Amino acid sequence: MKELLNELLMEDKTFIHVPFGNGFFDIYKSVVVTWGMILVVTILVILLTSNLKVHNISKRQAAFESVVLGLRKIMGGILGEEAAGYCDYIVTVLVFIAISNMVGLFGFTPPTMDLNVTIGLSIMSIVLVEIAGIRKRGPGGWLKSFLKPMAAVLPMNLLELLIRPLSLCMRLFGNILGATVIMELMKHVVPVLLPAALSIYFDLFDGAIQAYVFCFLTSLYIKEAVEE
Amino acid sequence: MLNISLVNIAFTIINLLILYVVFKKFLFQRVDAILKVRQEEVDDATEAANKAIEEAVATKREYEQKITLADEEKETILSDIKKQGFDEYEKIVMDARKKSDQIIKEARYNAKEEAKRAREEYADELKDMVIDAATKIAATKHTSEEDKDLYDTFIDKAGAVK
Repeated sequence: MKELLNELLMEDKTFIHVPFGNGFFDIYKSVVVTWGMILVVTILVILLTSNLKVHNISKRQAAFESVVLGLRKIMGGILGEEAAGYCDYIVTVLVFIAISNMVGLFGFTPPTMDLNVTIGLSIMSIVLVEIAGIRKRGPGGWLKSFLKPMAAVLPMNLLELLIRPLSLCMRLFGNILGATVIMELMKHVVPVLLPAALSIYFDLFDGAIQAYVFCFLTSLYIKEAVEE
Repeated sequence: MLNISLVNIAFTIINLLILYVVFKKFLFQRVDAILKVRQEEVDDATEAANKAIEEAVATKREYEQKITLADEEKETILSDIKKQGFDEYEKIVMDARKKSDQIIKEARYNAKEEAKRAREEYADELKDMVIDAATKIAATKHTSEEDKDLYDTFIDKAGAVK
């Protein structure tokens, strides 16, 4: 058990070693996997959208359109009308995290199992939330919003700035790590059949759920930030 | 896994932004363009349909008006014809009455003439008879007794003729 955790958590994740800066500029496996992911997704998206028609659409286009609109509808519903402009970003994050969680199916280590990736995602989320607040209320209104509903809650509101991204980041990281640990243990105990069945749950279902939870919470924060 | 590297965090953020730009440019904008065109077409079609409905309603109203007008015209024509027929009837009746009056007048005149002629004939006969009687009386010898008988006979005869 401890060996396994050591193996998973302490392995050298450097993929590209940069000879200067004493390892500071080393690029990790997770980032490289993300690059590959982005490349594949970009090619896929360009292929799918290259021949869009207005009429007599193919089944492929119909399915594709309904997926895009469905994702938008889900996230737009949480964001509300006022923050509808952030919908596209949230959908992007949803797809990013979902695919990151599922690359385990293809034998890669999920990028979201690297704390740096989830930190990056949650920093982006909290920055977006605060930008949404500033854009909506103006800098003065945004600063004042920390004193609401009363001045006494200022420390809480300031702490929230840190806690929200931390919880987002840790939840995602912990879930994916936990799933991977359980999967590894399962492979040791029952090498056939059961890991495949559990992989469907942990890689596909849990991966999608965690992506949804991350985007759901981010959307909720943005909605809260732009609400009067 | 647990060590934090600022460079990799930055790379993750950059990756995310790249993916966002890719999605925005190749996914959402393209899909939106298609949806916009489709929406415009739907709007156009709806507008055209509304226009067609309006036109149809207007035409219907026009025809209804025309039908109302036709009804009125029909009534007018019917009443005209009725009046004409009545006039004709009046005329015919009037003519008939005139004619019948004429006939009656003629008949009356004829009857009068006939009566006159009969009377003249009768008078002539009477005259002849008187002359005859007078001649007879004058030709014979007679007493007052005989005369009396003769008058009686004459009177009887005359009464018989009458």
